[in-house]
Amino acid sequence: MHATRPRRLAAPIRSTLLVVLGLGFAAPTFAAETKTEGSTASKAAVKPDYLDPMIQAAWEENSIKPSPQATDAEYMRRLYLDLLGRIPTVQESLAFLENKEKGKRTKLVEYLLEHPDYAKNFGNIWTLILVGRKQAERQVNKAALSGWLRRQFAENRPWNEIASDLITATGSNKENGAVNYTMAHLDSGAVPITSITTRVFLGKQIQCTQCHDHPSNDWKQRDFWGINAFFKGVKFEEVSKADATGAEVTDYYKLMDQPSDAYSTFEKRNAYMEIAFPTFLDGRKISQGKDVDRRKELGKFVTAAENDQFPTAFVNRMWGHFMGRGIVQPVDDFGAHNPASHPELLDKLGADFQASGYDIKALIRWITNSQAYQLSSIKTKSNELDETLFSHMMLKPMTPEQLFDSLLTSTDAHKTSADMDKKRDTWLRQFVVTFGNDEQGETTNFQGTIPQALMMMNGDLMTNATGGKAGSYLAKLLDEARKRSRAHPEPFVINRLYLAALSRPPSATEMTNARKIMASSPDTIYLIEDMFWALLNSNEFVLNR
Amino acid sequence: MYENLQTPNGMSRRHFMGHMATTAMTLPAFQFVSALQAQADTIRKNNKSLILLWMGGGPSHMDTWDLKPESKNGGEFKPIDTAAPGIQICEHLPTIAKQFKHLSIVRSLNSKEGNHDRGTYMMHTGYAPNPTVVHPGFGSVCSMELGHKLGDDFSLPHCVAINTPGEGAGFLGMTHAPFYIQNPNAPVSNLLPPKEVNALRMRRRLAILGMSEKNFLAQNRGQAAKDHQAVYTKTIKMMNSQYTNAFKLDQEPAAVREAYGKDSFGSGCLMARRLVEQGVSFVEVSLGGWDNHNDIFNTLSRGNLPKLDKAMGTLVSDLAQRGLLDKTMIVWMGDFGRTPKINQNGGRDHWPRSWSVVMGGGGLKGGQLVGSTDKDGIDVSGPETGVMDIIATMTKGLGIDLATQYTTPNGRPIKLVDGGKPIKELF
Repeated sequence: MHATRPRRLAAPIRSTLLVVLGLGFAAPTFAAETKTEGSTASKAAVKPDYLDPMIQAAWEENSIKPSPQATDAEYMRRLYLDLLGRIPTVQESLAFLENKEKGKRTKLVEYLLEHPDYAKNFGNIWTLILVGRKQAERQVNKAALSGWLRRQFAENRPWNEIASDLITATGSNKENGAVNYTMAHLDSGAVPITSITTRVFLGKQIQCTQCHDHPSNDWKQRDFWGINAFFKGVKFEEVSKADATGAEVTDYYKLMDQPSDAYSTFEKRNAYMEIAFPTFLDGRKISQGKDVDRRKELGKFVTAAENDQFPTAFVNRMWGHFMGRGIVQPVDDFGAHNPASHPELLDKLGADFQASGYDIKALIRWITNSQAYQLSSIKTKSNELDETLFSHMMLKPMTPEQLFDSLLTSTDAHKTSADMDKKRDTWLRQFVVTFGNDEQGETTNFQGTIPQALMMMNGDLMTNATGGKAGSYLAKLLDEARKRSRAHPEPFVINRLYLAALSRPPSATEMTNARKIMASSPDTIYLIEDMFWALLNSNEFVLNR
Repeated sequence: MYENLQTPNGMSRRHFMGHMATTAMTLPAFQFVSALQAQADTIRKNNKSLILLWMGGGPSHMDTWDLKPESKNGGEFKPIDTAAPGIQICEHLPTIAKQFKHLSIVRSLNSKEGNHDRGTYMMHTGYAPNPTVVHPGFGSVCSMELGHKLGDDFSLPHCVAINTPGEGAGFLGMTHAPFYIQNPNAPVSNLLPPKEVNALRMRRRLAILGMSEKNFLAQNRGQAAKDHQAVYTKTIKMMNSQYTNAFKLDQEPAAVREAYGKDSFGSGCLMARRLVEQGVSFVEVSLGGWDNHNDIFNTLSRGNLPKLDKAMGTLVSDLAQRGLLDKTMIVWMGDFGRTPKINQNGGRDHWPRSWSVVMGGGGLKGGQLVGSTDKDGIDVSGPETGVMDIIATMTKGLGIDLATQYTTPNGRPIKLVDGGKPIKELF
């Protein structure tokens, strides 16, 4: 954690400002923060000089013109959702929107990269990628994994070190959260850990070669079992302790590698059995004896400097996260059957990401400072048919996680707590579907569906968020507005509702319309509830634009 | 944009009755709309529907519809006779066997994709996954061709998926995406507004919502923004529909519930019948647990086969008794078949090369065998059936034009049936 910077230097000024602008809760804000940061702008200047031109070249080749730049409000909301996994609070929005400094977008990136929610968000995202949304089996400590990942992102550890730790982790799944990645995929003869390791770290889906050679790539059945053999020595055991009553309960699970000379066996289509010793995808082998730690060797192969696919796969996944579509799409399905939209760009970014020392924050700076990332999602006549060239931002429907956190943020109830994480998990689980097959697939198929609309209109979460009972966000807002103007509290209320839900002030027309509605009704708090409900149910709220 | 929904349908029926029925002005309008709606719904109820029984994980054809008792690959199950002369199926499917005058087996399918995701996509869409276009599942096609084209005043979703989210609507747009019922034994979540929001408030909420969305919608931000409004419109209609009773299985006699089975698949099949009765165009009911790499015979004989037998057998006879079978097609399929050879763990692995699909109802001929496999079940003997042929058969049987072609949002033409032919033995 980088907690040593003099963060609180401008505090007295800031809190006065906050009380005036927002509802006045003391939180570090962007405006105060940037004043203390002199050197950050220079970091972003290292954005690779070929990035924008290569994207532009593809536009020119296809005779399309990009959309105009997104507004500050759009860029800000996009960046908060993509980096922190939630929309900005009213105070955060005002701090950025009213800031007049040059280069404030770049500074916002820097500010958010240091925000505690950044590490929390990427910890959550990677927990999903590594073990999924579903309720974990008892030998998987999901919270420990999330916590471990959160620390890695907070410290900005190089991606090769994180990946290597995940692949090779041993010991207590409570003490070493990384252990839970392997723990979650060990059943069925380590077939799942074989598939997911190549898919997540290398972007290659070799799972179908479990039973036969790949029909359209040159991947062979023995490639799958060659990787599988690296996991032959993996064992785990349950470690117990006595609880308060003296009864024996599980304390943790311990993962270890026993020296092994075992091989994987598999059946060819012609019904012959074959065997495979640990062999990497490029054909390199390791000792077949008990003198090596097989997972360590696999970790070395995957993250080795000469393995271009390792950085490229990560760059592509990150690109997809921010742009709504990978340069290879789906982001984890590389191969001859699925060509990249910008192969040269992807290769160069992969090489530079590696040269940066697998610096995750640097990669994020490159993408978020790029022209393409800053484009509006409003399409033009020229580019409305384009889906692969990044000539306009794609609307990204909020993930269930983003939706939950954003609904809380909009009512200022998002402060992290263990209790909240638990509630969130329970809430999220209702949307998860597991396929129960050997690929451990799961989906939410939730975004944009009728069940989601029903939840947004009638669900408890929304009812709580938009409730105007004494002490609620809306009740406080109304009090504050009345303090400002007893005769006309409504402009302030309307302004704050728009900022809270949509991260922008209302337009003049919207303000006029909303004031008309409010003028016509005597039951004010219900009307505010209804207006807030409508904004939170609108397309503009639920789509990351 | 939700103006047309404000009265009288723009609120929960229950609330509507309570609050608005006293207002003399609104009552005639309500009756008028109801009469129009009733007319369209009569037409809809006579329109064809499809019930897809989806066997998640990839069902073993060798242990269901294509037994090889003489082969070393045969496994533990014995074949039994069915109501159709010359057709035998697995001994654990006796209820279904009685219905075989209505059902036919296609034993010659080669579906090419042996990976769960790809196989599932292929069987639902007819196409292999493609990074540049997302094809609609066949349920969404039914929603478009059988449901939507009758006019869009139907208050239930045209396409419903039970126990599975189903295949997405791809380029047809989210309004045709399956309405997902996670658990047919539980009430549909969040179907009514919270108690404290009465009809007048709901109406006000929708009015403000319509106003707030206008600007964003006008900005050419793409499909997701338009879909959002369309899905909300559909959802609001459903909240107000009397047809949501179709989701309430407790209205069925206990004996009927018993006959279908009260597990999620049995209940799902019963719900499917209730939905097609109301005019829903497509219902997919999923039974998972077919990915039997280990111990397949114990697993199936104690679990999926009896469940399947009860539910599917009862569904076919129930539809027939109610005179619904001629308008309701039933198709049984899954991700892919399973290897004829039994593996070292007493299971069978993924096998798309030669497996079976069962089809019937909706005007298709029953009691037919289409194609066959060799003595060990490894290769199709004679001409193979492709997935597009199955799609073509469903398309023709449901009365959808075989030449149907769509244009994706970015201008690309995609045929509904690309290269496949309807299976002639079934017509």
